[in-house]
Amino acid sequence: MPGARVLLLIPAQTYRASDFLAAACRMGLTVVVGSDGALPLGGRPVLHADPGDLERSSAELISRAGRLDGVVAVDTPMLALAATVAARTGLSHNPVEAVMAATDKAAQRRRWAAAAVCQPAFQIVPASAGDEAIARAAAGARFPCVVKAVSLSGSQGVLRADDEAGAIAAATRIRSVLSRAGRPAHEPLIIEEYIPGPEVSVDGLLARGSLAVTAVFDKPDTPVGPTFEETLLVTPSGLPEQVLATALTTAERAARALGLQHGPIHAELRIDTRQGRQAPAMLELAARSIGGLCARALRFPGGVSLEELVLANALGHRTRPPQLARPSGVLMLHAERAGTLHAVDGKAEAAAIPGITGLTITVPVGQRVYPLPEGDRYLGFIFAEADTPQDTAAALRAARSQLHLTIR
Amino acid sequence: MTGLAARVKAVLERSVLPSVVARGGSLRVVSVDDGVVTLEASGSPGAAHPLASRMEALIRLAVPEITSVRVIGPGGEPPSAGTGDLADRVRRVLDAEINPAIAAHRGRVILAGVHQGWVRVRLAGGCQGCSLAEVTLRQGIEPLLRARVPDMVGLIDVTDHEAGTAPFFAPAKR
Repeated sequence: MPGARVLLLIPAQTYRASDFLAAACRMGLTVVVGSDGALPLGGRPVLHADPGDLERSSAELISRAGRLDGVVAVDTPMLALAATVAARTGLSHNPVEAVMAATDKAAQRRRWAAAAVCQPAFQIVPASAGDEAIARAAAGARFPCVVKAVSLSGSQGVLRADDEAGAIAAATRIRSVLSRAGRPAHEPLIIEEYIPGPEVSVDGLLARGSLAVTAVFDKPDTPVGPTFEETLLVTPSGLPEQVLATALTTAERAARALGLQHGPIHAELRIDTRQGRQAPAMLELAARSIGGLCARALRFPGGVSLEELVLANALGHRTRPPQLARPSGVLMLHAERAGTLHAVDGKAEAAAIPGITGLTITVPVGQRVYPLPEGDRYLGFIFAEADTPQDTAAALRAARSQLHLTIR
Repeated sequence: MTGLAARVKAVLERSVLPSVVARGGSLRVVSVDDGVVTLEASGSPGAAHPLASRMEALIRLAVPEITSVRVIGPGGEPPSAGTGDLADRVRRVLDAEINPAIAAHRGRVILAGVHQGWVRVRLAGGCQGCSLAEVTLRQGIEPLLRARVPDMVGLIDVTDHEAGTAPFFAPAKR
């Protein structure tokens, strides 16, 4: 594998550029960067990539990148372009239309319904839907319900509603979020039933449609709404063996139903606890690895990172992901109110909590921040490792309690 | 080579060396004395610097007899060029070629120091805290500097990126 040549497609506003570059370096790969934001400065290829023009941009990248052994989208905005480049060069990747479906929550829901994948009851309402149509769709999905944008991620543009008036208000607010995010005005919304129960995420690598799981994160503080902040993730999962097996099978079936064949997936499921059951139901699936800096919580034996596994997979290596070295976790920091981030105090105290392995603040002091459902970025990440998932969660909560974020 | 040194070498080859080689450098075990490993970085050993703590952790995990790791430059000696001369040449490249280019993103690179061939730079303005700073540094600034200043031992980024107040690109959920 050393010496293999990989095209990394890096969107300008990703958290993950440095982790993928470091992984490629550790593996001895020759990197060609395609980006919509990088400055072409030096002797190594940094090519312009335009994810908004798949045809032209893929042709340009192929003509300028030289021989390629693999192509990897570092984050969501580059997924379709990476698939297009791979399809045109015969490299292992997902079909372009499968990737497009995976970035559209409405398309996901429809395909999962057609494949009888367990998921919440849902309705899709067009952008032009008036209040009456929203209320009717919400009633059809049953209350409480969740109103969602189809194209955003990380719980941005997601709100719970407990009645018709709440659903109408949620839809209005989410359309405003979409408008502010620059999304097309014709985007529909999803209204789906709210499923009570704990949430888990499944990360894995597909090879010829077969899923090799890299991590299952429990979310011990699963939110109940009205907004859905992802905060605490710990792995390995404490789900009962049978429930976990069903969750993994559901995620694999969901990926297959979308047509995904190759590369990383990040699936989110709720464990439906109604009527005394523990039934995994698909919430969302992305054709990429876990978002933000969360992958830094995953260190495999020998210090191997998730990004290294993703790159190896893109280069056609079918290695079985190893077990994690120790239970680990990550806590994401969110803005609890809108305003300007003035100060982050207590970092040293938080980092000194036993078990804490890292703390990164990703929003500069002085920048405007917004809570969900408007918020489009995390304030930072805390990482921990311990002997048990419970100890890991306790360390992360203790570290969070030491941090004081001043937003005015 | 002693048994301890051979075990350290095996760890390096398995987990660290590929990244150093990818950046045009190399590492060699010079000695193991009283639990202290001395590694010689050559070629472009700046690549090894960001990995230093991880490298030490890996070595200590795999070879518990090791208590610390020390990295020296090529031959354990400073480069032939004087520090002042090297600093001047680096500064000239920054001023003439690199800073005018990255000014387009409201960024600049400041020479923070030169020691035994190691060049330390601080990214400022739009580059400080930018989500693509690593791309600019490793794919742009480093190869350009290496081409113009071939006796530079390595490039180290000493920027406090968390303190950047106006990054050109801020990471966001997409």
